[in-house]
Amino acid sequence: MSTNPTEYAHPEALVDADWLEQHLDDKNIRVVESNEDILLYDTGHIPGAVHIDWRADLQNPVIRDYIAPKQFAELCRRNGISPDTTCVFYGDKANWWACYALWAFRLFGHQKVKILNGGRDKWKAEGRKMTRDLPKYPATNYPVPGQRMDKEIRAFADEALAQSRAKMPLIDVRSPGEYKGEITHMPEYPQEGVLRGGHIPGAKSVPWKTATNEDGTFKSAPELAKIYLDQCGLKPGTETVVYCRIGERSSHTWFVLTYLLGLDRVRNYDGSWTEWGNKVGAPIERSA
Amino acid sequence: MYPKKLQNIIDLFEHLPEVERRETLVAYSDSASKQEPRPNEKFDLEDIRKDEECADKVGVYLQVDDEGRAHLRMTLGPEVQTLTRAMTSILCKGLDGATPQEILDLPQDFVTRIVGAELVRVRSQTTYYVLTRIKSICKVYLDRQRAKQVA
Repeated sequence: MSTNPTEYAHPEALVDADWLEQHLDDKNIRVVESNEDILLYDTGHIPGAVHIDWRADLQNPVIRDYIAPKQFAELCRRNGISPDTTCVFYGDKANWWACYALWAFRLFGHQKVKILNGGRDKWKAEGRKMTRDLPKYPATNYPVPGQRMDKEIRAFADEALAQSRAKMPLIDVRSPGEYKGEITHMPEYPQEGVLRGGHIPGAKSVPWKTATNEDGTFKSAPELAKIYLDQCGLKPGTETVVYCRIGERSSHTWFVLTYLLGLDRVRNYDGSWTEWGNKVGAPIERSA
Repeated sequence: MYPKKLQNIIDLFEHLPEVERRETLVAYSDSASKQEPRPNEKFDLEDIRKDEECADKVGVYLQVDDEGRAHLRMTLGPEVQTLTRAMTSILCKGLDGATPQEILDLPQDFVTRIVGAELVRVRSQTTYYVLTRIKSICKVYLDRQRAKQVA
């Protein structure tokens, strides 16, 4: 935890557009765009930014899982990323997929990661430079990570169940309607085949958007501390599991808890509701 | 098998390398606003709504001329995704002059030939949305025509 409650615990993990503009030509920095809209990068992006798609690049195309360490190394090599490269992630939807990509990079042990506060929309709204030119970087020799950090920052269904039974912190970051079980998909989004609605027993509802301002930037450290520490009762040193529908909105909250508030034992349950709501025998709670 | 204008677009996309395919899709998406209704145009049917399958409101406007040929216009809300914008341009141009029945009978398999198997795989819900909406308005038009004939 930060000793100064007015500051983020890891302020270096968040950069603003002015900072990024000044560092666009820095060889040790790679700007990474990750979006829900798969062709958005192609319509224009921050100069020099590479595109990493959450599904095509980070997920196993057959099994519901992430790519293997060898494929991650190859992804980094072809995007000119080495283990010492600082990756600055940004994207649409207030950085949902940017946080998801950042979390996936951490899953493979990549250390130097940052988020562009406000993401793509803020950068564009401020009239900052964008281009359709595709960058080319020399391939690197990124070593194959020894393992994924599944145990450290990722939770599986049985671990979420254990968390629920032990009455340990579980944060459901979906919309209130999804939490209550009134709907099984995000408002404005299609149904994705979830059979049951509700939430994991004991989970508290803190929608991801609670952590952001209207322009998609993150709220201040005192505001975040009030929401997650004071009102929600989260504490450092306590195992905390966050989840949503497929793990992208909860990556956003995972970033807030881990980097902005400095909680050290937060894991993202990426199977989330599309797994839990379909799992035979999984306990479900519904509330008004 | 396909309307000629659509066949030409399929032929254009089918042999493009992936990078050029994406560039061409973005070029079509750039021109999506050109498919909006012109002032004083009149339509037989208008269907403007926000569905869960799409990020914003989409309007479909159908005019059927004296020869029974369909002409489509579309409006897209600002949050509509790039792939949906591209399919709007492609289908408004490709289906112009086909009959509503021909549009309704159109097999969906051409979408993969235009968009590419990879984009269909990773964004399947987005890819077919515009075609579904266009088929939907054509079905309503044909149902009403049949009802008129019965009456």
